[in-house]
Amino acid sequence: MKIKIKDKVYDIEIQETGSKKVKITVNGREFFFGETTEAREKFLAAHAAIPKRNFTKKEIKAPIAGIISKIFIKEGEFVKKDQKLLILSSMKMENEIVSDFEGKVKEILVKENQNIKGGEVLIVLT
Amino acid sequence: MQIKNFKTLSSTNQKARELARTGASPWEVILAKEQVSGYGRKGTAWFSPKGGLYFSIILPKSQVEDLQTLTILAAFIVAKTIKDNFPLEPFIKLPNDVWVNNKKIAGILTENIVARTVRFSVMGIGLNTNIDKFPKDLENIATSLKIELGKEVDNEKILKAILKGLKEQLKTISE
Repeated sequence: MKIKIKDKVYDIEIQETGSKKVKITVNGREFFFGETTEAREKFLAAHAAIPKRNFTKKEIKAPIAGIISKIFIKEGEFVKKDQKLLILSSMKMENEIVSDFEGKVKEILVKENQNIKGGEVLIVLT
Repeated sequence: MQIKNFKTLSSTNQKARELARTGASPWEVILAKEQVSGYGRKGTAWFSPKGGLYFSIILPKSQVEDLQTLTILAAFIVAKTIKDNFPLEPFIKLPNDVWVNNKKIAGILTENIVARTVRFSVMGIGLNTNIDKFPKDLENIATSLKIELGKEVDNEKILKAILKGLKEQLKTISE
């Protein structure tokens, strides 16, 4: 809402942020009421945090749930695009997972005979 | 549906994979009179002498989940083909085997090559049709249509019935 005081317009927003806490924003500045400084810091930290996502990470994910039946590569090894990385056996199929990228195997997050969920990260390349 | 006939192959799935990798069209069928190194899930050997029906199909690009469903449906189609054509009571042993009289008569292996999405898929079907005898280690767990019926069957007719069924089923799940 907007409030006009002596010809000056203030853009004000009042927002409940939790039990007994109110945040009032005046022209972009935030004021907190009914809470301790610590609670305010927590609020700010929670709202300022941007989800950590590294878009340059080369992750190989499981297309479907299953069991890792064979791993063909080792950590530290350099893999080419389209190289065979592992076999993921689902109940009905054998899925040969090949690399979408070229790079060095930074981490193998699974072991042979391990059950994994669909979408789970299996291998990270750099 | 094009059928490529081979006298002998190491494995029809292996050949199908080679052809799919180099751009073969979906629904191309690779048929062999015998397989030297036929295999099933987890690389287990599939006894593949002359007389049996061994073929692989290059599948159209589909979602992994659809391919999984299609594999189960393939077992159903193989069982149905047996039931519709012969006086036998097939039993589907999930995930992908067909049994008759408590012995395995057919097996299905779908192999997908997957990166972020499915690059290509092949489905191999091995059906013990005109096999007279199994080796000692298999004779108590495997059977054939010829053993069960006491007569030869028409491999070509069976192949066509299975292919027709599969194509129809894939339409219902992914188109």
